[in-house]
Amino acid sequence: MDVPQIFDRRIVRLHRDRAADQVDHVRPVLEEAAGRLLDRLDDVTRSFGTALDIGGRGVMAPLLRGRGIATVAGDLSPRMCARDGGPAVCMDDEWLPFAPASFDLVVACLSLHWVNDLPGLLAQVRNILVPDGLFLACMPVLPTLAGLRHALMEAETAHQGGISPRVAPFPGLRDCAGLLQRAGFALPVADLDVIHLSYQTPVGLIADLRHAGETNALCQRTRKVTPAALLADALGRLPRDDDGSIAQDLHIAVMTGWAPAPTQPQPLRPGQFTTPLEDALRDSP
Amino acid sequence: MTEKPPAPPLDPRLLSVLVCPVTKGPLVYDREAGELISKRAGLAFPVRDGIPIMLPDEARRLDA
Repeated sequence: MDVPQIFDRRIVRLHRDRAADQVDHVRPVLEEAAGRLLDRLDDVTRSFGTALDIGGRGVMAPLLRGRGIATVAGDLSPRMCARDGGPAVCMDDEWLPFAPASFDLVVACLSLHWVNDLPGLLAQVRNILVPDGLFLACMPVLPTLAGLRHALMEAETAHQGGISPRVAPFPGLRDCAGLLQRAGFALPVADLDVIHLSYQTPVGLIADLRHAGETNALCQRTRKVTPAALLADALGRLPRDDDGSIAQDLHIAVMTGWAPAPTQPQPLRPGQFTTPLEDALRDSP
Repeated sequence: MTEKPPAPPLDPRLLSVLVCPVTKGPLVYDREAGELISKRAGLAFPVRDGIPIMLPDEARRLDA
């Protein structure tokens, strides 16, 4: 089956290679997201011995190892996955190179939004998890970067009479829940969390995106150099708060799903019930 | 002495779970050449600085 190519994976890799030396500039944001994600581990009673970290940018893997979980860090960029010095694999998220039932836990922190075949990736993740293994992920969802998207669209329309795609088409929260379900995860949950980010200058926002390796990698991006005047106009259009700061909240979907196992709670099939509905209705006041 | 320093060993646990990303079949680790070989796919994946590069685009094609 041909998957529509929305993202240019070669460019995604180049951006991440380039960002490997600079990613410490955005470490506070990554640590906040990673911390919130790993909080979910405290809510489950199961313990995990082995984990795969997909695209954790050298922040997630050390946190997992700190919890005593033997972790492999995987990234499309070899420089990025080598940052923390532990076991690492350079891999394409769309072609996971692991045998079935390899890990107790798979974590993906802010790393799934440049993947073309997300349903395919999730199916592979389910496959490399042991039964009753946990998939824990967070990814940006709408309306993340809505302010930047609109500012760029308005400025480009004014300057060039048309628009080109510049900000990635993030999914919505409901799409994330649907994707988990479609991939066959048991007990799928997707809920929303917001990391409040505020910038004093527009340049700070752009610099953060570059340091995180998050600049435009859309296949249909314009290959022309963006005129400085257009960019300046767009940045001037970014909505500002009363105190002049630029709020660009990061809306993230936190996704959890379990690889199916017979020990998990199962819904009864029709006909398996032992209490007639009539009795239940008669007993209720 | 012009010998290359020996490559850092691959993490044994990592080696035990790695498969070919294309065929999902087994890999053979050629320590001398620093390559993970997938016979079924006809590809040899390089290992650089102890990191397996499991990208089909960067693998060496094995001659039949």
